[in-house]
Amino acid sequence: MDELMQILEELRPDVDFENETALIGDGILDSFDIVALVGELNDAFDIEIKPNNLVPENFNSAKAMMALIEQLQDE
Amino acid sequence: MQTSVLNWLDNTASAYADKVMFTDSNSTITFAEFNKLTISVCSFLASKSNPYSPVVVMSGRHIYTSACYLGAVRAGCFYAPMDATMPVSRLNQILGVIKSDNMIVDREHLEIAKSLDFNGNVYVMEDIIDFPVDNILLDKAVSNLNETSPLYVIFTSGSTGVPKGVITSHHSLMCYIDAVSKVLDINDSDVMGNQSPLDYIAAVRDIYFPIKIGASTVIIPKNEFSMPTELFETLNKNKVTALCWSVAGVELPAKLGAFDIIKPEYLKKLCFSGSVMPCKYLKIWQEALPDVLYVNQYGPTEATASCTYYVVEEKVNDDTVLPIGKPYENYTITLLNDDSTATAEGEIGEICVSGPILALGYYGDVERTAQSFMQNPLNRNYRELIYKTGDLGKWNEQGILEFHGRKDRQIKHMGHRIELGEIEETAKQITGITDCCSLYYKDKEHLYLFYVGDATSKEIVLHFRKVLPAFMVPRKIINLDKLPTLPNGKTDMQTLKTYFK
Repeated sequence: MDELMQILEELRPDVDFENETALIGDGILDSFDIVALVGELNDAFDIEIKPNNLVPENFNSAKAMMALIEQLQDE
Repeated sequence: MQTSVLNWLDNTASAYADKVMFTDSNSTITFAEFNKLTISVCSFLASKSNPYSPVVVMSGRHIYTSACYLGAVRAGCFYAPMDATMPVSRLNQILGVIKSDNMIVDREHLEIAKSLDFNGNVYVMEDIIDFPVDNILLDKAVSNLNETSPLYVIFTSGSTGVPKGVITSHHSLMCYIDAVSKVLDINDSDVMGNQSPLDYIAAVRDIYFPIKIGASTVIIPKNEFSMPTELFETLNKNKVTALCWSVAGVELPAKLGAFDIIKPEYLKKLCFSGSVMPCKYLKIWQEALPDVLYVNQYGPTEATASCTYYVVEEKVNDDTVLPIGKPYENYTITLLNDDSTATAEGEIGEICVSGPILALGYYGDVERTAQSFMQNPLNRNYRELIYKTGDLGKWNEQGILEFHGRKDRQIKHMGHRIELGEIEETAKQITGITDCCSLYYKDKEHLYLFYVGDATSKEIVLHFRKVLPAFMVPRKIINLDKLPTLPNGKTDMQTLKTYFK
């Protein structure tokens, strides 16, 4: 989780990732953030985020992203 | 002869009265309803505004926004659209340039409007769109318009740190829409999928193809661009046939692998513009959708969104570099050398554009207008203005124009044009920065800021987010003890570029 928080903090230091739960729903992260984020998460966690993983539920909060990462690592 | 875009709207409003004109995520509006709204907005506004004056419209991604634009036009005014999601200080800069007496804002953004440095009247959109029609005012207001009246002012990055307001006339916009609709073969059965913010130049096709031709436009919610399969589902649900998107927008679904899951099944036409298309992404589109018409468009806001177009007939490879093609109807391209002489055949020169599509200049800035829109130095016989784009080009052997980069430090990033000088001016406002240089790493599409001083990267990003739009916030921020310099004392940008990673 620390590694994820560090990536997120570096990407968007203006966002409160501890508490936000509608990062996509409220449009806090834009499409360019997502493209950058997917690349960084794939590299950092040695996973492959697929297009069908790109749904708001998986990216609305740091917790949801962590759950997605863990799920993909198990596969 | 048609003197204003209102002639177009009057025609389509009666020919397509009950047809859906705009769709957003919640609702739809027909041509007749849309036209009625423009008349109500005009009836309200005409008694409160002077002819030929700007009306600021700050409204979200919904079906009423364009109706407010055209309502201002009916009132004999022109519109200056603003994106409420931009930082307040940016909005204040725009207001400082446009100095408008009137602003229309949707209720959702009223609080933001109230927080701005704006002394004029603020009208809430929801309160005026049902205003009773006043036919006398309506006729009188329109009588002020002629073909060269301003239609809108759209703001773009300026190297001094203050955005420039490019003024476009009815005539210029009508010439462009005529020309581009022929190339894309847009007809009344087309459904456009709008990507561009409605206040941005790239949205003019999504707004005016319905108004001129009777096509429909679906305003796609912004957050769907983060989630590409949802995006394509929306295109399919609305049977979208034509897209005029920024290159950045076209890249996204290809980059994120959306085609592995779903395709836009109804798509027939795709026009992209804003920056150089990396063909590895276009190839993915072509392989998934081989029968779609692909058009590469090039041109600046100052020449009404465009200059040239290239219909991509070949199958592209990863390393294909697309030419920018040939001039649209009513556009003339001249290549000039630095000494204002004609560029010899086969050589690289600055792309200069002339014709009825030239902007009326920069709002409230006669000086900069005169610098950028000047007499064609090759024409000594009569008045012919050209706009010097700052872009370099070359005619190839087939008479097709190729793009060869910029003369200055303007870049294209995420579909927007950015003056690197403006990034540096903004960085220098931060107390903890004593020196800096901004560069663009094109291969990775990263905006870099190299700086000297004790500011933290967090402080820097927070400052940028407060004053500039998101696409202008540096993605990579590198602290250095000092900037490398050339023997003449200027910053050594080539050495800085070796620090890209």
